Amino acid sequence: MSPMVGALSLLLVILAGLAVLPFFGSGYVVSFSIQVFMWMALAGSWNLISGFTGYVSFGHVAFFGVGAYTGALLITKAGWHWLLAGLAGSLPAAALALVIGYPCLRLKGPYFAIAMLGLNEVVRALVSYFEGFTGGGSGVSLPPILSIVPVYYAMGAVAMAVTLLTYRIITCQFGLRLLSIREDEMAAEVMGINTARLKLYAFLLSAVFPGIVGGFYAWYASHVEPLSVFPLLTTITMIIMCLFGGKGTVFGPVLGAGLLSVFQELVWARFLFVHQAIFGALIVGVVLLMPRGILGVLQERYRLPRTI
Amino acid sequence: MKRHWFGALLVAAMVAGLATSPAAQELKVGASISLTGTYAKPGKYTQEGYLLCEKEINDKGGLLGRKVRFIIYDDKSEPPTAIKLYEKLITEDKVELVLGPYSSPVTNAASTVSEKYKKLMMATLAATTSIWERGFKYLVMTISPAEVYLEGLVDLAVERGLKTIAVINEDTLFSKAAAKGTIELAKKKGVQVVFHEAYPKGTTDFSALLIKIKSLNPDVIAAGSYFDDAVATTRQMKELDVNPRMYGVTVGGDLPEFYQLLGKTAEFVYGSSQWEKSLPYPGIKEFVANYEKMWNREPVYHSAAAYGGCQIYAEAVRRANSLDSDKLREQLLKLKVSTAFGDYQVDERGFQIAHKMVLHQWQDGKKVTVWPAAVAEGKPLYPTPPWQRR
Amino acid sequence: MTSVQITGTMLFQLVVSGLLAGGLYALVALGLSLIFGVMRVINIAHGTLLMLGAYTTYWLFALAGMNPFVSLVVSIPILFVVGAILQKLFVHRVVNAPELSSLLLTFGISIFIANVAMLAWSADYRSVEFLTGSFLLGPIALSKPRLVSFCVALALTGLAFVFLHRTKTGKAIRATSQHRDVAQVCGINVRRIDLITFGLGAALAGAGGSLVSVMFAVYPEMGQVYVFKSFLVIVLGGAGNYPGAFFGGLLLGLVEGLASLFLTAQLSEVIAYILLVIVLLVRPTGLLGGRA
Repeated sequence: MSPMVGALSLLLVILAGLAVLPFFGSGYVVSFSIQVFMWMALAGSWNLISGFTGYVSFGHVAFFGVGAYTGALLITKAGWHWLLAGLAGSLPAAALALVIGYPCLRLKGPYFAIAMLGLNEVVRALVSYFEGFTGGGSGVSLPPILSIVPVYYAMGAVAMAVTLLTYRIITCQFGLRLLSIREDEMAAEVMGINTARLKLYAFLLSAVFPGIVGGFYAWYASHVEPLSVFPLLTTITMIIMCLFGGKGTVFGPVLGAGLLSVFQELVWARFLFVHQAIFGALIVGVVLLMPRGILGVLQERYRLPRTI
Repeated sequence: MKRHWFGALLVAAMVAGLATSPAAQELKVGASISLTGTYAKPGKYTQEGYLLCEKEINDKGGLLGRKVRFIIYDDKSEPPTAIKLYEKLITEDKVELVLGPYSSPVTNAASTVSEKYKKLMMATLAATTSIWERGFKYLVMTISPAEVYLEGLVDLAVERGLKTIAVINEDTLFSKAAAKGTIELAKKKGVQVVFHEAYPKGTTDFSALLIKIKSLNPDVIAAGSYFDDAVATTRQMKELDVNPRMYGVTVGGDLPEFYQLLGKTAEFVYGSSQWEKSLPYPGIKEFVANYEKMWNREPVYHSAAAYGGCQIYAEAVRRANSLDSDKLREQLLKLKVSTAFGDYQVDERGFQIAHKMVLHQWQDGKKVTVWPAAVAEGKPLYPTPPWQRR
Repeated sequence: MTSVQITGTMLFQLVVSGLLAGGLYALVALGLSLIFGVMRVINIAHGTLLMLGAYTTYWLFALAGMNPFVSLVVSIPILFVVGAILQKLFVHRVVNAPELSSLLLTFGISIFIANVAMLAWSADYRSVEFLTGSFLLGPIALSKPRLVSFCVALALTGLAFVFLHRTKTGKAIRATSQHRDVAQVCGINVRRIDLITFGLGAALAGAGGSLVSVMFAVYPEMGQVYVFKSFLVIVLGGAGNYPGAFFGGLLLGLVEGLASLFLTAQLSEVIAYILLVIVLLVRPTGLLGGRA
């Protein structure tokens, strides 16, 4: 059996296990898995822009928040089915990415990061301000959710879609060109690559999925408010998950999100009050000790294919 | 041989454990409270009220023959944290009854969890009407709604022929509802609302807001506030020399800490309250005495509401003789009682309709109840003198 | 209801309080600007260092009754040492790494310190009730704590400039920020300059915190807003342009004050942001000129 077949069959076994998990797992396990899927999708999305091009999106949670509000409002005000409302969360997220990405992707280095950081604050302020529409600071309450199992499958599907898309990108010319931007943007431009357009495409793709995840999250959490769907910490968490697993790889975000979610859940349950401080220390540790992530190190050491 | 002996002991211990557990098992009651963060001051009083209630229930032999044990976590005044904590309380700690957290925003979020797991939440310190307009089945209210918090201030202003009012509020659930209610009351009674603006939670600099108000020179300023913002606004009104003839706040103004922090600056400030210890409610003297004995400080309305709500919940458990949420709900909707906290009666939504508010003013370092006339301890000192002449 | 009649007095009052706030922004931003100029590191932990300065003042005031302005002589050296330790242990490792590393690293440090502070001192809002009330100039009210803080902030900013221009170390800092490699070739110990710069930046943040504590509440997350604002000031003034940071600070205070006149406090944040993006796109060297 070649390693390729082995890896594929392992993957299939895991997927089959996840598919039947809600029939055996407790409510707590299902709820936790939803959050893991959510983080996989978010970390994977961040990877699409920042892992590939090196442009650090420091306000990615803005797309998640916009999606969450879209979902919540479509469900409560327009009476949409949550699945449709969640998917619709991608549209305003993409629109926001277009409006902000077009000018800001021209900014270099730390300036882009700070512009994105500010974007998140601004979107939050706007959501609070238009209170007739969004409920302002008190947010939107949704009807309580009766079964979370459908959300489990929906969120799992998004996580899978992001991962498949990443694989598709990394194996085609588009992906290689994005990587060339990360290594040397000037050289890429000289080679005739339209970097501005490529960056914008990657940015759009990376915004769409957080929008959908946000929409599903609104239904899952039954309540959205500015302070709960636009925290900077969410951006940082997706970044650190992606970094921990290995940025610019296919399974890095999946691995990072899975491991860190389990870690956080264990720490949170045991050390309710110090878990944030531990998280801070963890970030410092990852940045200093393994900036290339688990898969990055493995790829280097064992000459694994670029497409994992 | 040695191993057998150990195993036998283990089995014996387990059998003993099983045999004694069902009857003697504690009845766990869960809640999250804002012990730190922006709502920490009133949050701590809430916790003290709960713990006094726990002690008294146990002193009287517990509930349904079981000792009760309260599990209380700190939600840091953040609704998302409260959601996680109630999940943990219900699914991991397996509490059998849930009490509400402190504040409307936190209750609004946390109740989605209790509703999901069909646990009846006795919301002791949530005052916002909209929380009960979501059609939740397992949520019962203890205190008067936010909308009437400043009714006394508006009433007194009308009595004195004042014409204009400026309203500010924190942009969160309760404060918004309080401001909206105040504006509606003012309009109904012919007071002109000349200014209304909300500020985000966590604001510390109110200068721009106050400068705008100052230029309008309104007769009354009403603030839909919590403790920290009430302190900051009062202080900055002095710094910017803003001089209304009456100035009232919703929450925060009733806490002793308000005066301790601000000193003379707090003089003449009106504050609304759900409860004062001078009120003629049954059992109020004993409650105040027991509270002071346990905590070495006077109770405030947050303590009394937490205590009262908890006692009413316990009474419902006794009457239902069950912990089943539907049976508890049935009892709580039927119940009509007066406790040390005042009157209790709810409509079919679980919304409070019997409890009453009071308004007090800081006079010489003391809180004096000035409204409604029937229970007033003194007359309001009117008008509030300008800062430069104090 | 929200359409408030704008009067001359009101305008003047807002300009005054905007400038008073701006003086403080300038002080805090100068610290961030120094670090950014020398190392190209955006110190996200800058606000957390400000918080530590504020708590230093708060505790000295609450426990020992020390005058908050006098407590600067304690908070400045303490924060200098904290900054130097952070540089020595962590930040120097990411000076030449991609910006993601330094952003994340300083963010990690920031939430670590903020949460330890929360464990140690709780998340309660505390205040230093030292100066209250105002001086009245006709219809204009000058808040006493803000006026005094403003003056102290100006004095400290002035001192920092004297240090940068008159002392050998100060000149070395400026040289390093102008051209790191050339400075090194000229015999400047760049590692040592990095250490001093980070210490100095932290000390300025700490001083800012001490001054903020007499005006606003002190709590573990109080510094967050200052990071973004300081960066805005740097962008307005031009990166690497230290006097620019001073005028940028005043300008930001003014813009915020005036924006809040026409809009609510929440929306003035949006204006500040749009300003940031426009300046970055149109004049990346800052309104007052600087190094691209």
